[in-house]
Amino acid sequence: MGAPKVRLEETVRYLETEALDGLVAVNYGHNSFLESHAVFVLAGVRPIGESAVVVDRSGASTLIVTPAWDADRVAALSQTGRTVGTDDLPVALASVLTAHGLDGRKTVTVGLATLAHGLALRIENALGGNSHASERLIRQLARIRAPEEIAAAEKATEIAERGYAHMLACVRPGMREYELAAELYCVMKGLGAEDNFLLLSASQHNLAVRAAGSRVLDEGDVILSEITPCYQGQFAQLCRTTVIGKPTSVMQDRYALLQAAMRAGQHAAVPGAAVSHVTDAMDACFRAAGYGDYCRPPYMRVRGHGLGITSDLPGDLTAESDAQLEKGMVFVMHPNQYIPETGYMMCGEPVIITDAGAKALSARVANLDSIAI
Amino acid sequence: MRTVHPSIIIGSYVWDQDRVPRDEFQIRIGGLHRVMDTNGWKAILVYGDAAEHSALAWFTAFTTRLRWGMALIPREGEPRLLISMSSRDVPAMKLMTWIADVVSGWNWESAFDPWLARIAGEGPIDIGSVGFELMRPPLFESLRKSLGDRFRLHAADDVVAAVRTVRPRERSQISAASRLVQTAAAAFIEPWRLGVGIETAALAAERTARMAGAQDVRTLTSFDGGRTLAPFRGAFAPQARVEDRMAGYIAVKYMGYWADVFVTGLRRAKFAAGGDRAPADYVREYARAQESFPVVQELARRAQAGLRTLLSMAKPGVAAGALHAGATKALGPHAPHPVLSGNVGRRIGLSLNEGGEITADSRHTLAPGEVYSVHVGACDPQAGGALTSAMIAVTATGSEIIHLSPAPTVL
Repeated sequence: MGAPKVRLEETVRYLETEALDGLVAVNYGHNSFLESHAVFVLAGVRPIGESAVVVDRSGASTLIVTPAWDADRVAALSQTGRTVGTDDLPVALASVLTAHGLDGRKTVTVGLATLAHGLALRIENALGGNSHASERLIRQLARIRAPEEIAAAEKATEIAERGYAHMLACVRPGMREYELAAELYCVMKGLGAEDNFLLLSASQHNLAVRAAGSRVLDEGDVILSEITPCYQGQFAQLCRTTVIGKPTSVMQDRYALLQAAMRAGQHAAVPGAAVSHVTDAMDACFRAAGYGDYCRPPYMRVRGHGLGITSDLPGDLTAESDAQLEKGMVFVMHPNQYIPETGYMMCGEPVIITDAGAKALSARVANLDSIAI
Repeated sequence: MRTVHPSIIIGSYVWDQDRVPRDEFQIRIGGLHRVMDTNGWKAILVYGDAAEHSALAWFTAFTTRLRWGMALIPREGEPRLLISMSSRDVPAMKLMTWIADVVSGWNWESAFDPWLARIAGEGPIDIGSVGFELMRPPLFESLRKSLGDRFRLHAADDVVAAVRTVRPRERSQISAASRLVQTAAAAFIEPWRLGVGIETAALAAERTARMAGAQDVRTLTSFDGGRTLAPFRGAFAPQARVEDRMAGYIAVKYMGYWADVFVTGLRRAKFAAGGDRAPADYVREYARAQESFPVVQELARRAQAGLRTLLSMAKPGVAAGALHAGATKALGPHAPHPVLSGNVGRRIGLSLNEGGEITADSRHTLAPGEVYSVHVGACDPQAGGALTSAMIAVTATGSEIIHLSPAPTVL
């Protein structure tokens, strides 16, 4: 049985436990790599536009998709009992709620807070204005990756690594950032990446990574790349630093700090560990080298984060997080750091929590790579 | 066309001052000032998100790659742009707009409230809002809390839309986007003509556009002989051995503006026995393909006739409903293609859908300066489907074709 079927069943058990009649999970048609896509989690398919899954306590489920013409494709892939195509989600939802015998009073909603305000209001009206929201429910349900999801995350990681290898092979002075991004993006799409949260930018002294611009690459540029392909709903992220020309010894030395922080984080990230503890293990490496003052924005943002689109848990890896790690969680760990002598550098891998710590899904972990001229 | 929205818009965006200089934005903001004066508003707040940010981009040059952005434009004083990015990202975001005061909106109270205090005064202050229907509920609640009862919000979408007539510089940018989508369409058709599968052909088109500086590219392809379109599947299957038809859609965003086009290709059935299937299966498949080929050719002819009718009718003052009737009548006995969702066009520009959908029930008329993407298609549930399109600009006396779908490639 696939993960969506299992989660549909878990949803039914949740409804029984909470004495609720039904659940309405919605999505706004976007593919956020930092959020849970509640419809994908339950149906196993990603509609083009706004969509909803309705589940009732008897176990019956219906997927509603927009636009209507996408219904046949989605129906062939969906794990729900029924699929309905529409060009007006709230109107179709009202009919489906009636068919399931649901009203809003004993119905829980997921994802309304992610919708456009106008659409959310119409859906609330379809629910009679008296349902209650549980934004965490589906994220929590999908926080541990199922075997096929782990396989997809591994495939996404492989695509990212092959994309990065292509980048190393084709980058040259005189290229523009957007041309390099196009190379990378299209190669990974050709390998099966349905989406890609791709940031790629260069500077002689980076402050942060950003989306590719028109800058012409040249010798001495440090290229930062956050390569994040999505394969069958699983994002995987590599963070890489690449120097055009020969890296300085200072840069090599400081990059070793990022690598040490990554290893410390992986070691600390065992099942049951607090995210704040894992973050501190990484920060400690920078503090020991005299960069403690730089372990805060704007010199870094977070030490990693969850990856959509099934569940974004454990959330951001920060010193303030009270989340706990569990075996089977998949997320990106990245002790990316601004260092005054070198600028911002990136080092990060998608990891899975095992009894021995956070195991990198990538075959080749981050090094300070260079492009010979 | 509805297409899959990506997790981030990865294209290169900067405020190109040679293309759209500061004085252009002074003219646009002047239009907002007139709206404020007419309605007694002290400011207009213009919101946009990663999927829809047409008004925000028109007034600020800023394109929301991720999450949301909001321009706070007062009648007196300096505007502020709030972005849903970290403070670390602000320097890069400043390169995308003429507004100097760019602030991370992640700390709402410190980003919004002090700016609001500048326009506060005696009695409730009236403010216009644009795009607030798109705002996520939690942000809307934060905004409402900040406004309290000292400010009154008025939906300004329609009056502000009326200010946004297509400017001459926009026409230049739309033409540039049109040229790029035509290049991409050619790069879509040629690999298919040479025998590769449709997803490989679509990816070749996307690569062509991105390498040329496209800021976003959307494609849809048909895996069922043109009966419907589908988003990326990632299988990259080779062409069918007996017959293969091509129906695809590509939209390209360039210099901030969208241009789109449908592409169609028809290949006569070829007898290709062998491989791992029984010869009898091939014979049946070949017969089916031979039978359906003239039907799909007819669908393509009808779609083109519908488009020609629409183009010949398009001029200022013509009712959109009449255009729809003219285009669909030309389809004869064939059903309009379902992927068009009952319309044969809509305005296009900074958004793939700028409104003005041309449906049977449309009440609006075409107006000079408007730019439309128009599309006509026909479908036969057994044989397949065909789609064709054009982009047009409505002129003072008629309409001008910006581009047409390439004529169906018949092999």
